[in-house]
Formats: sequence, C-alpha cells, structure tokens
Amino acid sequence: MIRRAVLVLLGLVWLGPTYLLLVNAARPASGYDPASAWIPSGDFALLENFGRAVEGANLGGSLASTALYSVVSPLLGVLIGALAGYVIVVLRLRHGFWWFLLIFGGTVFPSQMLLVPLFVGYSDAGLYDSRLGLILIYTAINVPLAAFVLRNFYSGIAFSIFEAARMDGASTFRVFWRIYLPMSLPALAAVFILEFTFIWNDLIFGLTLTQTEDVRPVMTAIAGLMTDVYAGTPVPVGLAAGLVVSLPTVVLFLATQRLFARGLSLGSVQ
Amino acid sequence: MLGRFRYGYVAPAALLVAVLLYAPFVWTAYLSLTRYDGLEPPVWAGLANFAKLFDDAALLTSTRNTLIWVIGTMVLPVGLGLLVAVLSYDIRGGAWFRVPFMLPYALSGAGLAMVWSPVLSHDGIANVLLGVDTAFLQEAPANTFAMLAVWTWQQLGVNCLLFVVGLQSIPREPIEAARLDGASGWRLFRHVIWPLMRPLTAVVVGLALVSSLKTFDIVWVLTQGGPGRNSETLAVTMYKETFVASDYGYGSAVAVLLTVVTGLASYLYLRRQVTAT
Repeated sequence: MIRRAVLVLLGLVWLGPTYLLLVNAARPASGYDPASAWIPSGDFALLENFGRAVEGANLGGSLASTALYSVVSPLLGVLIGALAGYVIVVLRLRHGFWWFLLIFGGTVFPSQMLLVPLFVGYSDAGLYDSRLGLILIYTAINVPLAAFVLRNFYSGIAFSIFEAARMDGASTFRVFWRIYLPMSLPALAAVFILEFTFIWNDLIFGLTLTQTEDVRPVMTAIAGLMTDVYAGTPVPVGLAAGLVVSLPTVVLFLATQRLFARGLSLGSVQ
Repeated sequence: MLGRFRYGYVAPAALLVAVLLYAPFVWTAYLSLTRYDGLEPPVWAGLANFAKLFDDAALLTSTRNTLIWVIGTMVLPVGLGLLVAVLSYDIRGGAWFRVPFMLPYALSGAGLAMVWSPVLSHDGIANVLLGVDTAFLQEAPANTFAMLAVWTWQQLGVNCLLFVVGLQSIPREPIEAARLDGASGWRLFRHVIWPLMRPLTAVVVGLALVSSLKTFDIVWVLTQGGPGRNSETLAVTMYKETFVASDYGYGSAVAVLLTVVTGLASYLYLRRQVTAT
C-alpha cells in the first residue's frame, strides 16, 4: 500500500509539468498568462502554434535538411558498416580483427575532440555550412556502431551459405547484396533507428558546422529560437515547436519497437 | 580469391573513420599544445594551455558544475529510477504506475529545454504558480540544480525501464528461498535482489557516468553557461573558449582534459566492476 502511495505521489509530481506543457502548447498564442497556465483553454491550437514557429523562425528548410541528414547518413552508415563487417567476417580479410578495432575505435572520441579540426578543415575544404559536410560527419559517426553490430550478426551466419552461393557462380559482391544484406535487415534497422535519433537530436555539430537557416539542423535552429522566447516568441508557440520537433523520433521508435528489439538481440547474442 | 580487391569493401569505413574521427582527434591533441586563433597558423606553446587550466577561475566553476552533474545524475535519474522500478516491478498494474515517468521521454534534445524555459524564467509559470520569486536560472550553483531537476524529469523513465527489465529477468528461486527464510523489504533487496541485478546496474551507471561528464545540450539551450559563466560545464567551456573567445589552443586543451577525465573515469569504473564480480 505504501508502495502504491509513493508511486502515485511521485507520478503526480511528474505529471504536473507534462500537463502544463500539453495545455499550454495547445493554447492560442495570444491567450497565454502564467497565472492561469494550469487552466485549459478549450481550444486546440497546437498545429497552428507550430505553424507560427515554422514561419517565424523559417524552420521549413531546416526541417527538410534535418530529415535528409537523419535518413541519408544512417543509410550510408549501415551500408558502409555492413560492407566492412562482411569483408572481415565472411571474406576473412587478413588482419580482419585489427581492421575491426581500427573502425570500432572511432566510437571512443568525445565530439569535443573533433570540433576544432572539423570547423577549420571544413572551412578550408568549402564544406562549412553545406549539407554534404554534415552528411559526411554524421555518416562517419555512424560507421563504428554499424560495423560492430553487423560484424556480430554475420559471424552468426553459417559459412556454408556463402560457399553454396559461390558454387552457383555468384560474385562475392552479389552474395553480399542479394543474400547477406537482406538477411541482416533487422540488425540494419536497429542501428538505423539509433542513428536516426542521434542525428535528429544533434545540437553541437549543427552549431559548429553550419550557419544558414536552410542548412542548420532543426535542434540547433530551435536552440536559436530559445533566446527569442524572452524576445517575444509567444510561449505557446515555443512549447508547440519543442513538442512537435520531438515527435519524429518517438513515432519512429514506437512504430518499429518490435523490429528494434529483435535486431538488437540478434546483433548481440550471436 | 579476390586479392587486393577485397580492400575495396573495408576502405569506405576505414577512410571515413580515419579522416573524420582519428585525424581530428590527433589534430586537437596537437592544437592543445599551441597558441592558435584559427586565422594565423598555430604556434607551439608547450604546456602553456595546460598550465592555464589550473589557474582559471572559470574552469574551476565548470569543473564543480560538471561534478554536480555527475553525482546528481547518479542520485536522481538513476537512483530514483531504481526506486520507482523496485516499487513497481512486481505489483499488479505496475506498468500503469510508470506511465507518468515515461511521457517526458518523448521530448528530446533542445525540445526539452525549450519547454522548460518559460517555466523557469523570471516571470515564468513556476514562480507565478508557486507564488514565489526565485531566480531559478540565475544564482550558482542553484541554476545547475534547477537544470538537473529538468534532466531528472526527462531521464528517470528510461533508467527506470532498464531497471524493470533487469528486475523481471532475474531468477525467481533465490528470492523465493530468501522469502522462506524470513527476508523481506530492505533486507531482501539489499542482500538478494541487488547482487542479482548487478550486471545491469553496472551498464546503466556506466552509461550515465560517461554521458553526464559530457553534459552540453541542456545547459547550452537553457542558460548558455551563464549568467556570466556560472553554470558552464566542461563541455560548454570547451565550446565557448573555442568558438566564442576564438582561443582554439586553450579550447583544445579543455577538450583534452575532458577526454582524459572521461577515459580515466570509465577505466576506474570498469576496473572496479571487473574486480567486484
């Protein structure tokens, strides 16, 4: 009984801000007043508020660019990681383990250790403030994890499959493309979801490597909008923006929960 | 069978990692030993930047704040998450009791800070509703604690969920046996359940340790490390020294410090985990 009481009490504390957020994000922008923030307005202006944020801060181009980064980079990342895993495990690349260590070692660097050289290097190479530049760094960050999961996955597949396919005259690349890649779809999907979330939420690379509204990732753009909360962006508009830009990662995760759990367990156990 | 051609499969991965992760890492380590403003070529300065680290009041503040973040994360999102998990994992409808804690997890990145800013600001909801006049984001270290509370609100759910998964997967028999021997409540938890869920706790705490050392996003969006520099963390200091003050050499030294601290903490933590089991 005490257990339930504690849980309910804590739960209420947690629900308070959640409630305030939902009620006020749906409130018409002009009707906001901190003193009556807990009273619902009866209107549902969430999308309208978000529309105002998109218009006011020019988030449209930024949202499109972020969608591009969050889809293209993980796709490239898992493909490149899968190729590496395939050559190391299935084609038995000489010194394969060292190649693997080299690639996987890329995960240990904190992003702070990369920012200065990337900023200076990108400026010199004309990649600063370009979509290509962001896609490159996001892809590179994805590769170690993808190589790790896919290497594990491919070590669990019987080698006789490879031999049989080769016997039938398929080239090694064809075996990869038509047999190994489709087989590893759950693992690829799990890594894709993790990386999609990482890129969608990224703040620091966007902050360091971009400048113009259309190239900036949306979280960075939102962070810029923040200072305007004091400078006149109505609170409901800010709340709606914060809520709606968070949605894609939630939707993706909920929609693919099963696939995600299956992919990860396949990747880790074998 | 394929000769040199097979290197074509590993080349994209190796090249991307080498050019965009390894090379910048080494370059930052070199820059930390130079005086560099991003315009003129870097000039060798030996350990001058590192000497400055020990003599910098702002760095002392950000080290203190980072420490608050690390310890606070262990106690609040992780510790409270464990509490909620233990209270709810074996009661009927336990999942429903956890819903309030999972909802905030839907917010992400800057979105989280975005929705809390009007709550914590000076004429914000918290002050008006509570009938007080507190400058939540002004005084140090209170502003760091306020942000930690926001972080707890968002992160408790996911930590709790991990603990629940762990609790539900531990074997029933030792717990039943201990119950028959008369153990219950705290003693049952402390001597039977806690040791059994140790491997999972190690992972959750380890992840929280590393990510809290690198706290950046929430501070950047809510206070930008201010007012003045009193809520900076090491990661924020690194960013500001580099891209606001254009002191690339010193910023790199802070990045190296952060890397060393993170590496050392992970190493000590892992060693303790290995010797303990």
